[in-house]
Amino acid sequence: MLVSVTEDMEMSKPSDLVQGTLDMLLLKILVLEPMNGFAISQRLKQVSGDVLQVSDGSLYPALHKLEQEGWIKAEWKTSEYGRRAKYYSLIRLGRRQLEKEADNWGRLSSAISRVVKLKEA
Amino acid sequence: MRPEHWLYTLPLRLRSLFHWAQVDQELDDELRDHLDRKTEEYVAKGMTQEEAHRRARLDLGGIEQAKERCRDARRVNWIQDFVQDLRFGLRILRKSPGFTTVAVLTLALGIGANTAIFSVVDWLTLRVPSIAKPEQVTTLASQGTDGGYSNGFSYPDFEDIRNQSTTVFSDVAASMDYQADGLSVDGKSELMWASYVTGNFFQMIGVKPALGNLIEPTAGLSSHDEPVLVLGYAFWKAHFGGDSRVVGKSALVNGRPVTIIGVAPNGFHGISPLLDMQGYMPLGMATVTADAGKDLVTNRKSLGLTISARLKPGVTPASAQPELRVIARRLAAQYPSMDNWRTLIAYALGPLSPISNPDTPNTVRLVGALFLTLAGLVLTLACLNVANLLLARASGRQREMAVRAALGGWRSRLIRQLLIESLLLTLLGCVAGIALGLAASRWLGSINLHVSFPFVLDFQFDWRVFSYAFGAAVVTALLVGIAPALRATRANLNDLLHESACTTTTGRQRTRSVLVVAQVGGSLMLLIVAGLFVRSLRHVQRVNLGFDPGNVLNFTINVHQTGYNEAQAQDFLRSLLPRVRALPGVESASLAATIPMGLTYLGMGLKIEGYQPPPGQSAPLAGYNAVSPQYFATMRIPLRRGRVFLDSDGQASQPIAVINEAMAGKYWHGEDPLGRHFTSTDDPEHSIEVVGIVKNSRVAQPYGPYEPYVYVPLVQHYNNQMPVTLQLRTSLPLASMNHEVVDTIHSLAPAMPVLDTETMSGSLNGLNGFMLFEIGAGLAASLGILGLALATVGVYGVVSCGASQRTHEIGIRMALGAQPGKVLKMIFRQALFIVGGGIALGVLAAACIAVLVGNFLVGVSSFDAITYVGAVLIIAAVALAACYVPARRAMRVDPMVALRYE
Repeated sequence: MLVSVTEDMEMSKPSDLVQGTLDMLLLKILVLEPMNGFAISQRLKQVSGDVLQVSDGSLYPALHKLEQEGWIKAEWKTSEYGRRAKYYSLIRLGRRQLEKEADNWGRLSSAISRVVKLKEA
Repeated sequence: MRPEHWLYTLPLRLRSLFHWAQVDQELDDELRDHLDRKTEEYVAKGMTQEEAHRRARLDLGGIEQAKERCRDARRVNWIQDFVQDLRFGLRILRKSPGFTTVAVLTLALGIGANTAIFSVVDWLTLRVPSIAKPEQVTTLASQGTDGGYSNGFSYPDFEDIRNQSTTVFSDVAASMDYQADGLSVDGKSELMWASYVTGNFFQMIGVKPALGNLIEPTAGLSSHDEPVLVLGYAFWKAHFGGDSRVVGKSALVNGRPVTIIGVAPNGFHGISPLLDMQGYMPLGMATVTADAGKDLVTNRKSLGLTISARLKPGVTPASAQPELRVIARRLAAQYPSMDNWRTLIAYALGPLSPISNPDTPNTVRLVGALFLTLAGLVLTLACLNVANLLLARASGRQREMAVRAALGGWRSRLIRQLLIESLLLTLLGCVAGIALGLAASRWLGSINLHVSFPFVLDFQFDWRVFSYAFGAAVVTALLVGIAPALRATRANLNDLLHESACTTTTGRQRTRSVLVVAQVGGSLMLLIVAGLFVRSLRHVQRVNLGFDPGNVLNFTINVHQTGYNEAQAQDFLRSLLPRVRALPGVESASLAATIPMGLTYLGMGLKIEGYQPPPGQSAPLAGYNAVSPQYFATMRIPLRRGRVFLDSDGQASQPIAVINEAMAGKYWHGEDPLGRHFTSTDDPEHSIEVVGIVKNSRVAQPYGPYEPYVYVPLVQHYNNQMPVTLQLRTSLPLASMNHEVVDTIHSLAPAMPVLDTETMSGSLNGLNGFMLFEIGAGLAASLGILGLALATVGVYGVVSCGASQRTHEIGIRMALGAQPGKVLKMIFRQALFIVGGGIALGVLAAACIAVLVGNFLVGVSSFDAITYVGAVLIIAAVALAACYVPARRAMRVDPMVALRYE
């Protein structure tokens, strides 16, 4: 599952919250340009400053699910290695889903912040 | 999801569904590509190629598992899963054709037996005529002061009821049914069973004609207006070839001219869907063609009409009851001499209406329930068999299941897949079973009922039968699949990798053994029931009939159908007998109004001189037959005392009668009946003298006590409406005599249709005779044999598997010096437990159901020792024989092979 690597912590139990978040992150990464699975996980690691890493075993199922839901589409192109590789790209419906999820996330995270920042009595 | 979104994703899903091999390959490519890149990354970090590759794979978590998870992620739609399971299941079934064939056949037998029997039960109890709103149509019956029911009414009764019941009935019609008339069209004459109906009959029923017109409400009651005929659909198809030109044709009914105006719709057989009405005419014509008596319309004593009525909307037969009772009381008060008005009841239409006895439907339902139960038992046995087969196979697939579980499939999916496999099996079995059932009921429908009535024996497979079959299949699938599925998925890979294929856990073996015990028990129960029915049949057949049916031929004619009046008819019959007697090979010939155990039973009320019925008992009744003098010689009914009829006992002579021993004993106990007198309540003027006593013989049913019976001379009691049976005793077979006799009849009366030609023994197998017993025994025996076959296969299977399971152990024992005989005993001991347990269970079950079965047995107790012991012996012998083969195989095991075999 999604792993937060701050101090080599153990994997936490998957939950709906975390799964939904992963979908959103993947969609966001694909906003800029089409990528294949490997590249996506690299980019996620890079952009989050090594904080967020997706285990390979969870990445591909998530991508396939997104494809099945119709938010991203896949194309087979010849990679730089001369082999066939699968590239994912975001489509219009996916963009809308991304916006929706980003909104939700914003609301959720500010709510959590408010709770956490409650002054102790 | 929004519609356009769904449309967009649909091609994707379909692609996953239909091109999943290609999709799978793409998945493989994608993951390998990922592995390659990951490997490169690690190599760039300084690892060796090998280590980098290994590390990359570890990161991915195993390529197969990752693929499985991707596949699951793609399957957002459960239909894809289902179809996947279906295809997999089909492949598995195709791979083991032997197993599939046996399982499907077993299930087909069980389901087929059930559907066939259900279609018959449906025909008897659930089928209603295909008319508008059949639940509103009822037939009426009245109950007399003696408690007996009658569904015959007079025309004045009909008018009274019609006028007084307007609050409960929207329309009331009457019909005179089952009149055997002669129809003559274009010179060809044949028998037609006709119904004379009031003008509003078809309107009340609510059907439209298939051709032409039906009888209109304007049809009057006078014999002169509207001599019209409506043909029944099946009759029209069979005798007129479906020719639409019949409308408007002239024809003769019993010699009287009529015009054919139309054809009734297809599927309409009259009020009763069991018997087919072949023609309909206005009631007014009955006074002419059926000689129903010119006073049909006014005579309150002529009770030949059936009344049917349509309830008003919202009224049920039960809620109409009080009103009807009031009507009955009113009529009873107005006409005290007619003592049949204790109450009036309306019955909903059913296959057996018009019914005269409210108990009849219950008896029929009981019989139906009994045979459905027996058939259900056969199906259960079949299920047990297939469940056992599946269990055995499941143990063979344990490894496969365990490996799949280890690879990441979770248990519910495995269970679902196994259930789908068993569902496929049962669906195949269901389809085959329905085909079998159709064939069986077609065959049943072609049974010759030995009657001249046109029975409608079409056991249609309508929606009820199909849904019953399907329901049975689904239940079967669940029963059969659930146990193996649960067991198979509990597999633990580690344990299994150390076990052999047929080595089952003791738990599973016990389950299978228990199942087989149930099978043996069920089969024994079926055999016992079958044995009881067969013995009952034998008993009934061997009963002393009191007459000798062998070498007697019956020819039934209705003189009335040629239009002869009474004088002409008597002339004809008088000339006929000597000519028939003159035919070569004929020993004797006689005429009779009824034949034993035929469909007609004549009775008369008696007033016996010097005999007073005890208080509370109704007036004496006796059955009677009107016969010509040689009757007793033809039927070989022994004369005890006095004399039989002579030719000199003519119409003008003193009315005489010959009675049977039962009548003599009942009404002249201790005295000599000869010379004594009695009168019939129908004809109180003429006093009848008893001139002879004959031995008791079976007239109505093959069992039960002998009832008082009277024989009167045919010439003194001739009824021109009724058919007459010419009986002759000859050593020649029917085939050779048939032509001669018919020619003789036609030489005297060319247009006389001969209704029925049969041997006396053959007609004993009719509806009132042995037929029901034969059918019951036949059905029960078939089910019993089916059950026995299933149980045999079951016992063989489980003992065989048990023996091979212990091959290892047997090898060791034999290597250590055990004798083959001891091995045999060991195998048999296991078998003995199974068979013994099954027998105990079966006897118990049979004893429980014995009470229900006992209602239908004659002369045999439900706990008949011979049957029980016989059935037990058969089962034991068959089961032990089934054990013999695996036991011998076990005995011949070579210890070296056994020890090596794993």
